[in-house]
Parts: sequence; C-alpha cells; structure tokens
Amino acid sequence: MSREDAGLELSVVVPVFNEAENVEPLHAELDAALAGLPGRCELIFVDDGSTDGTGERLRAICARDPRVVALRFRRNYGQTAAIQAGFDRARGRIVVTLDGDLQNDPADIARLLELVEQGYDVVSGWRKERQESALTRRLPSIVANWLIGRLTGVRLHDNGCTLKAYRREVVKRARLYSEMHRFLAPMLSLSGCRYREIEVRHRPRRFGRSKYGLSRIWKVMLDLLTIKMLLRFATHPAAWFAILGFPYATAALATTAASVYLYATATGDGFPIVVPSITVLLVFAAFHLLLVGMFAELVVRFGDFRETEPILTTVERRARA
Amino acid sequence: MSVATTRAAPEISLIVPVVERHGDLRRLFEEYAAELVALGRSFEAIFVVDYREREVLPELRRLQAETEHDVTLVLLGGTFGESSALTVGLERARGGIVVTAAAYFQVEPSGLGPALAALEEGADLVAGRRHPRRDTLFNRLQTGLFHRLVGALTSTRFRDVSCGFRVMRRQVAEEIQIYGGLHRFLPVLAHHRGFRAVELPLGQRSEDLATRYYGVAVYLKRLLDVLTIFFLVKFTRRPLRFFGLLGLALSSVGAGITLYLGIYRLLGLGPIAGRPLLLLGVLLMVLGIQTLSLGLIGEIIIFTHARSIRDYQIAEVIERPARESAVEAGRSG
Repeated sequence: MSREDAGLELSVVVPVFNEAENVEPLHAELDAALAGLPGRCELIFVDDGSTDGTGERLRAICARDPRVVALRFRRNYGQTAAIQAGFDRARGRIVVTLDGDLQNDPADIARLLELVEQGYDVVSGWRKERQESALTRRLPSIVANWLIGRLTGVRLHDNGCTLKAYRREVVKRARLYSEMHRFLAPMLSLSGCRYREIEVRHRPRRFGRSKYGLSRIWKVMLDLLTIKMLLRFATHPAAWFAILGFPYATAALATTAASVYLYATATGDGFPIVVPSITVLLVFAAFHLLLVGMFAELVVRFGDFRETEPILTTVERRARA
Repeated sequence: MSVATTRAAPEISLIVPVVERHGDLRRLFEEYAAELVALGRSFEAIFVVDYREREVLPELRRLQAETEHDVTLVLLGGTFGESSALTVGLERARGGIVVTAAAYFQVEPSGLGPALAALEEGADLVAGRRHPRRDTLFNRLQTGLFHRLVGALTSTRFRDVSCGFRVMRRQVAEEIQIYGGLHRFLPVLAHHRGFRAVELPLGQRSEDLATRYYGVAVYLKRLLDVLTIFFLVKFTRRPLRFFGLLGLALSSVGAGITLYLGIYRLLGLGPIAGRPLLLLGVLLMVLGIQTLSLGLIGEIIIFTHARSIRDYQIAEVIERPARESAVEAGRSG
C-alpha cells in the first residue's frame, strides 16, 4: 500500500507525553467523534518519549484498531517535534492536531472540519473558557497572544491551543523545529494561508498533570524576535538589518557633527571625549549591522529556502463546457 | 573487487585508534581477542594509525600476518587527531556492534562481557568508566572537575566520558558525527540524540596510572571542547536563545553603566570624560549588539536549512501489519 494513500479523508495527530491514563479514554472519545464523519481516517499518536507505560497502552490500542498508528520517539523531543512527526506521517486530505490530555474535546473536530471545507487553510481552536488558574496560565497567555498578534500580524486569541485543523498542503509545507508550536499560525502564515479561529470547549484535566508551566519567558521573547525577523525578512535579511542599523547611523551622523564642532571650539586644555566615544559606539553598531545583513543575505542566497519556498497556492480550474 | 566485500561480516568490530599515547599493541590485541573468543563472538580488529605514529606499523603487520583473526590496518595520511581516526575506523567497521578501545590499557578487557550483556538489555552505548580509580589525587581532582563542568553544562551525568573503551550499536556510530575533539563526548552526544547511553564501572589498569600534567594549551582546548558540546547540545536549534541572552546581558550592563554616567554628568556631579568606566560601558554595549546580531544570523541559517533538519528520532512505529488491517478495516471502520 502506498504511503500517499489517496482515499484517506482525515488524519488526527495526537502528541502524547506521559498520558498513560488518558490515551484509552481519548481513543474512545475520538472513536465516537470520528464515527459521525464521512470518509476514512487515520489516528496518529506520537509518543514523545513517555516513561509511564503510555507506550504499552498505545500498543494495545494499535492491536485493536487498524486506523491507529503510534510513533514512539527515542526520547522526549518536545511537542513541536511530535507534531512535525505526525505531519510527516499524515496522509489525510485534512489534518487535525489534538492534545493528548483530554482537555480538548474530540467532538469539536467536526466543526473545525466544516470551516476547512469552507476554504480556510488553518482553523485554530480558541479555548475561550480555559479551565486553568487565572494568574499563572491565563494572564500570561493573554499577554503573549496579544504580543504575538501585534508583532506578527496574525491575530489569534489562543495560539497555544493544540486543537487545530489544516489543509494537507499546509501541513506538507510546514517545517517545525525547536519550540515553534507556540507560533504555528504565524509561521504558517509565511506561506500565505487563510486562517480562522473558532471557539472550542476546554475541559479540566482528569488524569496526569500539566507539563507546561509559567517559565522561560525570555525564551518566548527571543523566539518572538526571531519570528518577527523571519516573517518579514526571511528572503531578504539585508533589509531587516539595514532598518535595525538606520537609527544608529542617523544618530552617528549627528554625534560626528557634534564632535567636530566641539573639537573646533575646544579651548586649550583638551576636549571632552564623551561625545566621540558615543560616536564610536554608534558608528560601530550601524556598520556592524549593515555587514551582518549582507552576510545574512549570502546565507539565504545559498540556503535551500528559496528553492522550496513554501508558498501556498490554491489552483482553481473550471471545466470547460 | 576488494576483499572486504566478500568476507562475511563479523559480529563485532574492534577499533583501536593509535594516535598519541600507545602501549604494547600486540598484547592489547591478544587480550581483547582472547576475551572475544571466550565470549564466542566473531570479530574483526581495525587499527587506525596516525601518520605520526607510523613506527608501530611493522609490528602491526607482523601481528596481522601471524594471527588467524581478521585484522585491518589503516594508515592516515597525516596527523588528524583521535576523532578523525575513530571516524575512519567506524566507516570501515562491518560488525553490528562496534567496540572502541584506547591504544593502551585503560581498563580490563574482561569488561567486554558485561558491556555486551548491557547492550542486549537495551542500552545503545556502553561507556567504560574507570572505577574505582587508582589514579593520583591530582588526576582524580582534575577528572572530577572536568566532569562536573560537563555534567552541569549538558545536564547529563557521566563520570568518565574520556575513557576510550566503548561498546555501541552500529547505528549509534553511524548517526553521530564526531570531529574536532568531540570523540571524548560520544556518550553525551549519544544521549542527546536519544540513545540510551550507560556507564559501566570497570577496573582501571596499572598501565593507565601515569599522572597527567598537561600544558595550559591542552586545558584551554578541553575547555573550548566543553563549550562546543554545550552549544551543540543546548542551542543548535535556537541560536538566538544563546546569543540573544548573552547579548542582552552584555548590552544591558553596558547601558546601565552609561546611564549612570549620564545621570552623574547631568546632575553636575563632575566630569566623566576622564573615567575609564565610560569606555567599559561603550565596549559592553558594542559587544552586546555584536552578539545579538550573530544570533540572528544563526536563526536565519537554521531557518533556511529547516527542510533538511529532522528534529526527532523515532524509535518504533507501532501499527498493524498491512494485510491484516486491510481485512479488518471494513469491520471496525
């Protein structure tokens, strides 16, 4: 049987990490939710290096249900890698991702699919009523989502919701690494995809414990800076660095003029070094950023991004009468 | 074609890089061979000899002629260091299990049995650990310090990564690229790659006991190696997190200093032109900008090559056999 199975309608990708008690109920719920949908589907569980017996439960499920495939990672690689592995494996026309902790409701899948059918490339869930602590989870999430929206232009209320549906073409172009799952929609918007948000249910955790806490804010901030740069200048970084360097260059011109003036009007016993040292700093920064930008241009030119530029296209044909 | 392709592949390939220090290679070979024969394993031995150490070749050729075992000699065309020697050896290895050993006795060859057993129990790489150490206090001190640093920076807990005795599955050898001085960190790299790497305490041989005083250059090199491995393990996917944090720290200290001096001057507390602190402030800000922008370059490199990066290693794919599922699909659909 070929891996590119044409008849497959839907692939559901579920990243799981130490969710031994959750996988069986989740499979049952998914089974019920998928029963009402047309077409054949597959279920891809990605076991992200669990150590609590999740693998054995998955093996049991796979033995029972031929639609299920379980990929087991060698160790814990993080949710982004798990989702990418699921994407790599998925064969369905539409791909849905779903959290493995039962907090997403599989019954919502049908509503997401409807929107994909209406022509959206990415449909993202929005956990409007989050069942989590307000201070440590919800407030940081509101701030983060606002920031992401401001900086990337992709305004979603809830970037962190795993429940999402994608057109197959989006998934096959995606190349996720590090902890990009937080910025999935902005990254995918690089390929120019139409996205839409829809409210989904969010349930409190029944088994196991949460794996993500309030920490590593600086990581998210630096990642955001990266995303911002990649989004606007992935194909022409010299411009980005030139823009970064522009204020420095302008200020450098001003301080140079000031230094010259100070030097010309200096009286006898030396002249203050303060303004020239500021000039040194500014000239250095501007020059450095310009050079780095050129260097980045070189890198991009010889990278493989341009050849495989993941621009999403929808080809529409009308049959001639 | 070459003889290598027609010989049956042995179970085990023993690789001995002869690069710097080496002892009695014949005795080394004989002891390992005896151990492997006793274990009932078929094996080949590969000696990779650095050009600088080529005076051992005649002795090895004699060994090759006299022994009934499969011995390959590889002479490197120059002096490339142990990492390259190991890589060359690994490329030639045909066995499903690869054993590397230092060119002198570090540990008892009797460790082979337990190491192979550990491999059968599911480990992917078994690294020898000289324990209990019979070294001088100075040696133990510097080893301890080194490993504490490595452990802290890579969040692993190996206590003797530099022991040359390692037993690994072929796959480990194939997947991990070692270059520079990175052979020393093979267990760390294997662990990072998702393999199960374990340490096995083995008796230290008396031949290994010489006190090691190194020059400053050697310590410096080790330190740089540790930094390399730290970067490789922690930040290769997200360079800006490393450079960015460093750059932000540098430039904010610099900005703090400059701000302090600026306020000082504006309040009229005195001239600041003659103060070296001003230079430090400017320098730190410059360094910060430089570091940060290099981090951005790193991000662009990673992003442009993202298509060829695979961020995960799959240990196992569980699914029903195709034929069975085709039959069952209709029923449970």
